Amino acid sequence: MTILSIGALQVDRAGIPVIRGVDLEAKGGEISVLLGSNGAGKTTFLESLSGIIPARAGFITLDGTALVKLRPGARAKAGLSHVEQGRTVFPAMTTEENLKVALHPDADLKEAYDLFPELLQRRTVEAGMLSGGEQQMVVIARSIVNRPRVILIDEMSSGLAPVIVSRLMRAVRQLADDGMAVVLVEQFAALALAIGNRAYVLRRGQIVYDGDCAALARDPGHLHRLYLGDAAA
Amino acid sequence: MDSLFTAAVAGLSAGGAYAILGVCAIFTYRLVAVVNFTGAAIGAAGTFAMVALFELGVPLLPAVLLGIAAGAAAGIAIGLVMTTWFAGSSASTKAAVTAALLVGIIAVGLRLTGGQHPHYFPEIIPGSAFRLAGVEVTWAAVTTLALSIAFTLLTEQFLARTRTGLQLRALSQRPMAAELIGIRVRLLALGVWAVTGGVTAFALMIIAPLRSPDFSSLSLLVVPALAAALIGAFSSFRAALIGGLMIGLLEGSVSAIGAVSQYRGAVPFLVILAVLLWSQRGARWDEAR
Ligand SMILES: Nc1ncnc2c1ncn2[C@@H]1O[C@H](COP(=O)(O)OP(=O)(O)OP(=O)(O)O)[C@@H](O)[C@H]1O
Ligand SMILES: [Mg+2]
Repeated sequence: MTILSIGALQVDRAGIPVIRGVDLEAKGGEISVLLGSNGAGKTTFLESLSGIIPARAGFITLDGTALVKLRPGARAKAGLSHVEQGRTVFPAMTTEENLKVALHPDADLKEAYDLFPELLQRRTVEAGMLSGGEQQMVVIARSIVNRPRVILIDEMSSGLAPVIVSRLMRAVRQLADDGMAVVLVEQFAALALAIGNRAYVLRRGQIVYDGDCAALARDPGHLHRLYLGDAAA
Repeated sequence: MDSLFTAAVAGLSAGGAYAILGVCAIFTYRLVAVVNFTGAAIGAAGTFAMVALFELGVPLLPAVLLGIAAGAAAGIAIGLVMTTWFAGSSASTKAAVTAALLVGIIAVGLRLTGGQHPHYFPEIIPGSAFRLAGVEVTWAAVTTLALSIAFTLLTEQFLARTRTGLQLRALSQRPMAAELIGIRVRLLALGVWAVTGGVTAFALMIIAPLRSPDFSSLSLLVVPALAAALIGAFSSFRAALIGGLMIGLLEGSVSAIGAVSQYRGAVPFLVILAVLLWSQRGARWDEAR
């Protein structure tokens, strides 16, 4: 079932069109993988979904609720959560404080620790002192404590060791299996396609591929041409 | 010597007020990322609201409470300006904006309060508490001292132990991440402005009778306040507390030494200069090598 629905989205950055008419649907229980070369507009796209930057035109709906005019906090309350690029822990707060800070009174940390049991023994450590992988776990765990409907994840793997990356990928797959709609932006295309359902490739602010993850994973040459565009064709 | 001690003790109540203002300055800086030059002016607005009400015949206690509320309201007004138009600005731009606002507030404040025209400032905490080595210690001094210590410790505990405190810390560390997880950042920021405004107003009411109580003099108490905050490196509430008290004692002492007594107002400036030079020493050492 479609949870997040985006149509004809246009976003400018410093007056220049960066997202130029994007349609995307994210279904519950699925991982939608969004690929694209550096500067294609992936981060801009996610930031416009969570409300960090405004959209110029188009619609964004979550379970039928229009999000475009809402502030980031209201979008979070509507059930959208965003794991930003760059492991955005609150560095001077402990792991547990990071998880608790936005927790609804009727929710608890069980699911967060179920997802990443390894964080249990790091509860009282300041997040700034954690390893990169642990920090990424804290940020992902923090983003799901209130059971969002959609989670947007921006380059969670960058700078992490392969074994940590596959650990994170497994956790993300679990989130989707639990019913969430996941939008996963990744540099490591192969790993993301391996756990993903539907793939999108963004080039210069437009979707140039929309289809099966498995099909794209089987044809790396095709993916390469999609990244580079006409130059490689 | 005796008169020096007397004068130092006399500086204590001012020191307590500086400490409170300094803690407020750090609070504002850490939590809403603004070096706030309008802190004392916001408090002065509350203080003069109290005086105006008192002159109109309102009894002291309600006048004081309404004055504190006026200080909070003035704080919220400045907070609205900062969060509406300058939320995304750099720290230096924000500081410059508050400095400009200070000039504007003083001009309007002087006009509304009749310039240097004297007002009657009721002593809201009158009388002498006890004598220490022959020197009279006033209730005003005891209260500001106790208040400054209590406020510092309460602030620390509030940030460490409460849910709102936790959210404020998150907001100060990563405003965007805080907003993305649904923390009500604007409301919290305005809360910080309101609380510091109200507290500052109360602190200034206590010490206003000891000063030349015109609007601009009270507003310029932001200088010792920022000096105290600087001693706390804009991060340690306790260091700012001690710094504020020390500046008050130092000012008091200086005023007892005939030759330099006219320059006591320069004490905070000298403290700021000394702290900045001290904090630069590493950098200049590196350059020299
Ligand atoms: N703050 C900004 N101001 C102006 N332009 C920006 C800003 N941030 C990004 N851009 C531009 O917007 C375009 C898209 O950037 P974006 O960061 O969304 O791409 P991306 O696909 O996430 O890239 P990467 O793989 O490097 O993370 C780029 O051309 C970039 O130069
Ligand atoms: Mg990016």
